[in-house]
Amino acid sequence: MRPPSPSIPEKEFLFSTLEKSLRLDGRGLIEMRPLELTFGEELGHVDCTLGKTRVLAQVDAKMVRPLPERPFEGIISVHSEISPMASPEYESTGRPSDEEVALSRMLDKVIRRSDAVDREALCILAGQRVWHLRLTIHCLSDAGNLLDCACMAGMVALRHFRRPDVEVIGDEVTVHPPSSRAPVPLSLHHTPFSLTFALFAPSSSHTNISSQTAPITLLDPSLLEQRLASGTLSLALNAQRELCVVHKAGGVPLTPEEVLSAVNIAVQKAKELEKMVDARVREDWAMKKIEVR
Amino acid sequence: MSSRIEILNDGGFRSDGRRQYELREMTFDMAEQAGADGSASVAHGLTQVRVSVFGPREAKMRSQTIHDRANINVEVGIAPFSTGDRRKRSKGDKRILEFASTIKSTFEPVIQTALYPRSQIDIFVHVLQQDGGVLQACINATTLALANAGVPLLDFVCAVTGGVHAAAPMLDLTTLEENDLPHVTVAVMPRTGRVTLVSMETRLHVDRFEEILRLAGQAGGVIHKEMRAVVRERTKGLVDAMGAGVRTSDFAEDAMVADS
Amino acid sequence: MSVVLPGELVPAQHVNLKLGPGLQQEAASQVTATRAGILEHSANNSRWWVESNSRRYVPAPQEPVVGVITGRLGEGWRVDIGSAHNASLDALAFEGASRRNRPNLKVGSLIYARVSLAHKDMEPELECFDAQTRKAEGFGELKGGFLVRCSLRMSRNLLDPNHFLLPLLGSRFPLDAAVGVNGRVWISAKEPKQTIAAARCIEGADPDGGGMDQLALKMFLDSLDF
Repeated sequence: MRPPSPSIPEKEFLFSTLEKSLRLDGRGLIEMRPLELTFGEELGHVDCTLGKTRVLAQVDAKMVRPLPERPFEGIISVHSEISPMASPEYESTGRPSDEEVALSRMLDKVIRRSDAVDREALCILAGQRVWHLRLTIHCLSDAGNLLDCACMAGMVALRHFRRPDVEVIGDEVTVHPPSSRAPVPLSLHHTPFSLTFALFAPSSSHTNISSQTAPITLLDPSLLEQRLASGTLSLALNAQRELCVVHKAGGVPLTPEEVLSAVNIAVQKAKELEKMVDARVREDWAMKKIEVR
Repeated sequence: MSSRIEILNDGGFRSDGRRQYELREMTFDMAEQAGADGSASVAHGLTQVRVSVFGPREAKMRSQTIHDRANINVEVGIAPFSTGDRRKRSKGDKRILEFASTIKSTFEPVIQTALYPRSQIDIFVHVLQQDGGVLQACINATTLALANAGVPLLDFVCAVTGGVHAAAPMLDLTTLEENDLPHVTVAVMPRTGRVTLVSMETRLHVDRFEEILRLAGQAGGVIHKEMRAVVRERTKGLVDAMGAGVRTSDFAEDAMVADS
Repeated sequence: MSVVLPGELVPAQHVNLKLGPGLQQEAASQVTATRAGILEHSANNSRWWVESNSRRYVPAPQEPVVGVITGRLGEGWRVDIGSAHNASLDALAFEGASRRNRPNLKVGSLIYARVSLAHKDMEPELECFDAQTRKAEGFGELKGGFLVRCSLRMSRNLLDPNHFLLPLLGSRFPLDAAVGVNGRVWISAKEPKQTIAAARCIEGADPDGGGMDQLALKMFLDSLDF
């Protein structure tokens, strides 16, 4: 039994507070919940929490024969699944739910289509041996905005991961275990971050889509906000001001200016996130090095 | 994969002889399928899409009824022969599912679903030929099919694809161009000029995005004009057939779903 | 204060022994715990129970609950009270309700009601009045305000007159509250800011969430702007 949709008082209260630019958890409209990254013992193991939303990402690499049509490129595959464990909203029956489709497509776009990982750098021996990276995303708990949390976890896991060093002499490939040679980080072109805005139509007429006043946009919606929002705008972009994914389907229509102002907010946030992620990954690597020695 | 074909040559022409901002030939046909409550077939150049709408009718599955509005069900089929390499996509393909859910959520706020509680509106989309701008064609065809079915809409939804080649924005891309350029599909609601759908999957700088977004907004208006003419024509035909010959002109005006 | 774990023997002995939640009598005079928690008993040792915390509500008669209307059901409504099954609420179980004059509840309305029937083989039933006096006694539809979800322990704490939270909130601003023991608390204050502050305090004081004590909560409340 899926939990029923939010009650009328909850709905009305949320709309009335949003009009006063208040949020139920005391955040500002474009403030994210605190992001925490916990790295595991293994490289490429990241536990990412955004408020109470929690996603685990794990990367592993193995050597395989490349695809015949792309002999110089490594392979990246992303596996994601939303199990009923994350929230009572999700059911484990048969065909994938809309949320699951949206999540796996977003991950695919953010991590694979945006060319975040340099695939040619994963080639060991052209046409013979390449690295196959498997990124597995486990959604542990959904308290709103699972999409951003999952993308973040996935990207950070790729930044945290290091593959064993390999040496190629002629046709012979030697893999050096981490104990003899320091593992090498993946070569990443950029780090896109996904940022989701929830859109609320202004004033009480929240069904009237043709009103002229600007809708309320808020970043990183909580579960209640996400369920009551009339549409979302998902952006994925990197700190270099490059958009990788824009996805807004239906919901409150926006003027081009409103879309662009959301993009500008996202640019700022992406820069902040980049700084934080970079610092955390470095910090963890520094700790690991001491252990190795 | 770098292009072997010049996307935009020095004379300012594209590979198919169009200018930068030129749209391909559009064909809008309404009510081709007699069995459906409303149908439309749309072609943008070589991309061809057909949509049939059934409903509002009783939901096939009771669990899908919503107590205060109509449920919209979108199913997308892509013909295996629609692309150069013949490939059968299964129904469970995540790309197709996402496509369907994009169309569904685009039209959910446009259709006045609150008028038909506990019922269902089925939208079946068939992609017959693909040559770039498939989403754009699907959305335009769905708008026409819904208008044809008499489903009350708040506004048209007009979609167009835009891309950027070396800082030069262009509109209505073909497959050839889509493969090489970052591209955005934008759907606008012409009455307010607001954007209801933006979909981009390739890397693009924020400044370029801004440019293309504004341009696509304008192009949406052009497509709207064409679509309106077709709906007007169709309505006029229907009114004539009813024998209300004298009042045709203003009647057709009244029957318009939206005005400029 | 003694902590018991499931399966542990409990030294409960009395001529007129009554066992509450979390305890079970197996042999003639053997009582074992079935839940982990703190073992409590009444002053004269006749009533024993285990005080624990959970999130899933199991209805018990006479308990006040906050529910959401999820649909109509013949002459009444189906109500979600967070238990395994939806409860039913008869349209006549209101003060002053008659065949002609029935309350106007919509799907999504919140109600404060009492569980009138809870049996493991039947759907729970609710009523919004006292069956003897036929007076509302505070039950009925909850209009406006906001619904906070908390652990069951927290909602029981809020009903305890000795608990610090509601008096503390009441000393800062006027506040209406309806506490359901199903882990749902409805609150309403004049200003939305105050309602938000109250909601965040309940979340903060929840032993299953923030777990703040009186002092910490006072400081937290002072840090909020309302």
